[in-house]
Amino acid sequence: MTSLKEILKLSSLKIGYISGKNLNVLLPPLNACANGGELIAVIGRNGIGKSTLLRTLTGLQRPLGGEICYSGKKIQDYSRIELAQKVGYISTEVIKVSNMSVYDLVSLGRFPHTNWIGKLELEDHDVIADALVKTSMEPFRRKLISELSDGERQKVMISRILAQDTDIMVMDEPTAFLDVAGRYEILHLLQSLTRNNNKTIIYSTHDLQMAISLSDKIWLILDDELIEGAPEDLMIAGVFRRLFDSSAVLFNSDDGTFSFRSETRGSIYIKGDGEKKLWTEKAINRAGFRVAKEKTLPFIVIPCESNQCWQLISVSKVLDFNTIYELINCLNKNSI
Amino acid sequence: MKTDERKETFADLKSGRKTRFIFTGLLILVTVFMIMDIFLGSVSIKPSEVLRAIFSDTSSDYGTIILKFRIPKAITALTVGVALSLSGLQMQTVFRNPMAGPYVLGISSGASLGVAFVILGFSSIITPDSLSGLGNWILVAASWAGAGAVMILIMIISSRVKDIMTVLILGIMLSSGISAIVTILQYFSNETLLKAYVIWTMGSLGNLTASQINVLLISVSAGVILSLFLSKMLNALLLGENYAGSIGLNVRLARTLIFICTSILAGSVTAFCGPIGFIGIAVPHIARILFKTSDHKILIPGTILAGAAVMLVSDIISQLPGSESVLPVNAVASLIGIPVVVWVIMRSRKYSGAF
Repeated sequence: MTSLKEILKLSSLKIGYISGKNLNVLLPPLNACANGGELIAVIGRNGIGKSTLLRTLTGLQRPLGGEICYSGKKIQDYSRIELAQKVGYISTEVIKVSNMSVYDLVSLGRFPHTNWIGKLELEDHDVIADALVKTSMEPFRRKLISELSDGERQKVMISRILAQDTDIMVMDEPTAFLDVAGRYEILHLLQSLTRNNNKTIIYSTHDLQMAISLSDKIWLILDDELIEGAPEDLMIAGVFRRLFDSSAVLFNSDDGTFSFRSETRGSIYIKGDGEKKLWTEKAINRAGFRVAKEKTLPFIVIPCESNQCWQLISVSKVLDFNTIYELINCLNKNSI
Repeated sequence: MKTDERKETFADLKSGRKTRFIFTGLLILVTVFMIMDIFLGSVSIKPSEVLRAIFSDTSSDYGTIILKFRIPKAITALTVGVALSLSGLQMQTVFRNPMAGPYVLGISSGASLGVAFVILGFSSIITPDSLSGLGNWILVAASWAGAGAVMILIMIISSRVKDIMTVLILGIMLSSGISAIVTILQYFSNETLLKAYVIWTMGSLGNLTASQINVLLISVSAGVILSLFLSKMLNALLLGENYAGSIGLNVRLARTLIFICTSILAGSVTAFCGPIGFIGIAVPHIARILFKTSDHKILIPGTILAGAAVMLVSDIISQLPGSESVLPVNAVASLIGIPVVVWVIMRSRKYSGAF
């Protein structure tokens, strides 16, 4: 289904704000592209200009330099209506309107396709119904939007963009308000829309792990450049670490997890294996210890049977613990 | 064919039928109130006499009362109700504020300021007594300009301050400021002009000249027709300017057109009838409750009918049928509007700013 047609190209794009006569350019010129049917995550630290980039792509803000081309045509050459038929947008703003039904909200997506008074023809009703089915929100069509949960509302917003019938969907933190299950559900929905409906979706997120596992491409925005590529390519190039250069967070490129940069209080060897070893390692990391590669004192013996306990063996003594909680409490209280 | 297979669900059909039913009901109510407004009054006239006065004996005393007083007043009440309610609906959507209305946000005050400038400043040329034809149009235009200027100010405030209640408080301060300017204008004007202005501020539905009613009718009709063209834009603006822009709305053009429409509607009424409070906020909410929708294709005609009905009822009550005294219609309208406004405030607390 997916075609490898280049649908969006940014060339030396400058984004930012005009305040008075001054141009406030946020980032160095950006270069990036997107193909049809790709799910693209925009990643960068808070305040770096992700939202500004997405607003500029949607035409809500003017580029301060460089070019945005949709299907080879510059964004300035599109009329408002043509652009609205090409790109749809979901921001983090929550729509609060009383007495507005899900169907009404989704039907507003037909705005660029309807006549001067906004009359919905039969085709429009079909597109709306189809959009609701794709997001499995059809049973909610008569519900008021003020009665929806955060996840349901986000799906309705996605239906609205689907009703708008655009090739490209731009979303600013679509998973921001959601719990873990809700985030996966939304991202899987986005992924299936790129796979089955050939939509190109560009979304910003702070959830690096999920972005890496589900996106086709990542636009990584750093202070001095935009790096694009498949998440795995970026992992191998080790560029994610640069997101956290100055902060207290460490990114482990082995498994794509995070940890706090903190001073170590020493190293402990762990003897044993299996699930219990894994979690004991995590616990002593949290307590500020490194896991020693070779056998040294002190060391911890992991229980093999269910009736055994954790043993902490140091130079002077041997201590038994029934749970990891007790073990860590002991490590935190005493210096060893 | 996919389109042929599409069936409206039972619930959809029912809601369409319900909407038509409410429209019919409102239309009947407006007609009934219109007739009651003509038949009832401080002078009690038998229904048969009323009919005779209208259709045959137009020159009798009753004929004079009915044709020269009651019918023009009923027409004015209907027009005023339509204009204020419709401007309230548009303002609530464009400011995304359930409490917006021509009166509370100082739009009416702005219109009064425009009128004050004309009467107190230039009426050596146009004395209020001779206000007719061109003079009326000048008065109305000044009123539109004043209303429009305040609309723009409120827009600037709303774009900086997101909190609805803060915008309201600033709106009240704005009206106080405008009243202060009017007071200063009064202080510097001579006795005759001052008297003319004070008489204008006491304006009610009943003392409009035929040419003033013409100007009012033409302006309000223009506003109503313009508003029908705005319904798609208003629907998009419900989503806020970012989303409205992203679905292809020219937000600046839409706002300008809505401001023009609202200024015409609220300004014309204020020019001839003085500030009338709370109808503008309350009626759009009544329409929302009745039709349970946010779609302006339904809300605009709904608000027009509900506004006409409410203002006619206010006028009927203000005449205190059966007694000889007449209450100021502004007061009656406020008493009808305020409970609705209080209810909306209580409810919007619960939904934290939703409207």
